[in-house]
Amino acid sequence: MIVSIWRYSHLFLAISSSLFLLIASITGVILAVEPIANKVQPYNVSGADSLSLAEVLNPINAVYDEVLLVSRDRNGFVSVTVIIDGKNESFYIDPYTGERLGDLIQKAPVFQFATNLHRSLFLKSFGRFFVGLTSLLLFFIAVSGIVLIAKRQGGYSKFFSPVVRENFSQYHHVVYARIVLLPVLVLALTGVYLSLLRFDVIPQQQVSHEVDFDRLREEPLKNYKDFELLKNTSLSELRELEYPFSEFVEDYYIVRLKNKEVLLNQYTGEVLGQQKYPFVTMASAWANVLHTGEGSILWSTVLGLGSLSIPFLMVTGFIIYFKRPKTRIKNRFSKNECDHVILVGTEGGTTLQYAQEFHRQVVKMGKKSYLGLMNDYGLFKKMDECVVITATYGQGEAPASATRFMELVEKHPQSRPFSFSVIGFGSTAYPNFCQYAYDVQEKLKNLSNAQVFEEVFTVNNQSFQAFLDWTNRWAKSHGMTLHLKKPKATLHKNHASDFVVVGRLDLEKEDTFLLTLKNISGTKTVSGDLLSLTTEKDGIERLYSIGNLGNDILAISVKKHPHGICSNWLGQLDNDEILSARVVKNRHFHLPKGSKEAVLIATGTGIGPFLGMISSNTAKRKLRLYWGGRTPESFCLYQSHINKAISKKQLEHFIPAYSRSQPNKVYVQHLIKRDGNKIAEVLRKGGCVMICGSINMQGEVMNELKNICSTYLNKDLSYYQNRGQIKMDCY
Amino acid sequence: MRKSVLNLCLVSVFTVQILMAYSFANFEPQVSYKCLIQMTNYTGEKAYVVVSLIDPDGKYVKTLYVQGDDKEWFPDLRSWWKFSDGINENIDAITGATIGNGQRNIVSLSFDTSQIDSGHKVRFESAVENQEYYKIDAEIELNSATIKEKVEGKGYIRYIRMVPN
Repeated sequence: MIVSIWRYSHLFLAISSSLFLLIASITGVILAVEPIANKVQPYNVSGADSLSLAEVLNPINAVYDEVLLVSRDRNGFVSVTVIIDGKNESFYIDPYTGERLGDLIQKAPVFQFATNLHRSLFLKSFGRFFVGLTSLLLFFIAVSGIVLIAKRQGGYSKFFSPVVRENFSQYHHVVYARIVLLPVLVLALTGVYLSLLRFDVIPQQQVSHEVDFDRLREEPLKNYKDFELLKNTSLSELRELEYPFSEFVEDYYIVRLKNKEVLLNQYTGEVLGQQKYPFVTMASAWANVLHTGEGSILWSTVLGLGSLSIPFLMVTGFIIYFKRPKTRIKNRFSKNECDHVILVGTEGGTTLQYAQEFHRQVVKMGKKSYLGLMNDYGLFKKMDECVVITATYGQGEAPASATRFMELVEKHPQSRPFSFSVIGFGSTAYPNFCQYAYDVQEKLKNLSNAQVFEEVFTVNNQSFQAFLDWTNRWAKSHGMTLHLKKPKATLHKNHASDFVVVGRLDLEKEDTFLLTLKNISGTKTVSGDLLSLTTEKDGIERLYSIGNLGNDILAISVKKHPHGICSNWLGQLDNDEILSARVVKNRHFHLPKGSKEAVLIATGTGIGPFLGMISSNTAKRKLRLYWGGRTPESFCLYQSHINKAISKKQLEHFIPAYSRSQPNKVYVQHLIKRDGNKIAEVLRKGGCVMICGSINMQGEVMNELKNICSTYLNKDLSYYQNRGQIKMDCY
Repeated sequence: MRKSVLNLCLVSVFTVQILMAYSFANFEPQVSYKCLIQMTNYTGEKAYVVVSLIDPDGKYVKTLYVQGDDKEWFPDLRSWWKFSDGINENIDAITGATIGNGQRNIVSLSFDTSQIDSGHKVRFESAVENQEYYKIDAEIELNSATIKEKVEGKGYIRYIRMVPN
């Protein structure tokens, strides 16, 4: 609920201001160039800022007969307005010599145009109002954005921790929004301030002096060079110095410095009046500088990039909105006549698609099933069985459609006892895997009339196969058979490629084999990617981890399942046979390019992708491979690869664990524990740990890693997970 | 031979006379005045002020100074714009920046000596975005005896002062 209020405000504000915001940001980018273009003009005379005003006036008075004004702009350029041959002329000068350097910078037509559009959209006061309003909306957009990021990241303290990547738009929207937060906030706030100033909501005060004209004296006559103020004030302090209009003593010097305005008797140098600028004037000057970047190349650049990011954030923001599948749920039966209730907690909608498919099949079996969002939880009069399928938002929060679930559970006690199961969707690449699903399980467990049907079942990376495992088991215990079809939206778009079998090694005893394939279609493959195979027989997709051995030779390591259609089919393939499959990019399981060290942990056929990573390695990167098998004989499939790699220094250490060759079983996790200090050292240096194999092994290894992190590194494992140093591909 | 020399002399004398006549036409003696425009503490945008020379019949002669850098707003100074735009006057060289409320601006104005003490006036008209337009905010007679006196403005101008340059 709370997330969605902020999210809808964020979206609504962005939509309502989109057109003006787009115009203002694009013109803003153009206008950011202006101060930079001005600043690089050659009118800055180095060292001149430390001259005193008297030293600056001296050459000016010598060169020009009639001086009206000397001023210094924010770029540090000094200009004069003088009368030459009866005409006013203004130009930049060299403060040391008074010599003319060049004409005042004229505002280029493109900047004039952009300024008008930026300020008033060519709609005069009306447009000014809208631009001001847009500025205010931008401020609110930024604030709601901060709240959304904080919620996503799991708190303000984790505001800058790495972002969970769902897709390009979502990831870059969050990442860039964080980077440009400061300039955008500054632009929005100063924009609002300047508008309020325009419309006199903030009253502008003029400094006014009360000069006692009766006391003006022409004596004692002093040379201006001896006037205290002119002698003691440096040029860097100056904004403007106006000469006396005439020789009457009633006319005086007006000296405007950065913070005050001083009137000087033109004959005696006596201070006739001195006023500090009011706060509003100073604040306005600051707002101006901060908003325009005038006088600073660095700040102008920052503002320009901030402005440039706004269209980008708008586009990615709208893409996120439109990509988020709309939750359209149709139910054949009303919620009070159904004995099966399926509740969905979803953020992007993928989880809902899986749940919908499950619901459809249950209804097909003639059951009365009701599908709803977790936020629809209420009294279900006939509910016997409740299935909660939920994703986790950010670092363990409830996803969008489940934000009120916990309170609703309290509020609506069920009249009948019921059993429940919770399925969590998430990614093991991030900490707090399926945390929200576990929270829900705890919550429901505490209800007096709710009974746990089974413990939380987790689905990693939207694995349809894993989901199938669960639905099949669930169906079996309910005396049904379900035929779920994979939701279309999650099908991969890349085309099938052809592969020819170039070699195979079998280990009959353990029903495993190593298949080497040559990629004949040229699809680019990186070790860790997945080979997706769909047999005609059942239309179900299976994924195998690929190891790229180089020269388009890929290795997949497969274990035959007694009734596995796909693995048995693969097991029959002979040399030179061609199979058609798709390569699925699996970026989160690639060996990081820049890493110096890595620890690879696998059991059984999980070694497949590592064979590729090792064979493309050079001596520069130190790799340690832990591998768990039953007996030394299990290793023969991979022996030649590993021996070659060790002799070529591609692999530094190979540490096997055999569980059946000695009385006391040795598992990989035992060796991980033993070598804890070495593994900690790799993590400390920024190297990564990659795990490939069964889910059980993963759990054990993760436990050991957790201990290693707290014992040797004084950090939580999640710290390294967040930095992408722990990579997993388990099944 | 003598005749041709005489002819040559005559031609050159005529040429010199014509050149002199031209130069006198171009360089009629000029006087310049320093002029101070002091604005009031009105509220709103920066004011556009245009200074023009007015003949004894009250007609515009020429534009002396334009305080306003964006041509977009010139038509707001209706009466002057009708004249200046009407004769396609080139005012690029005599435009300067706008100034805001409470500020002042000093400019130099040049006149032919014949325009002094002959009933000519200097008119200051002013306009501010979305506010009233003053056809005559202030007006000063080009009278050498009284020109140094301060003249109060009626609109955005508090007063005008002029002194010989």
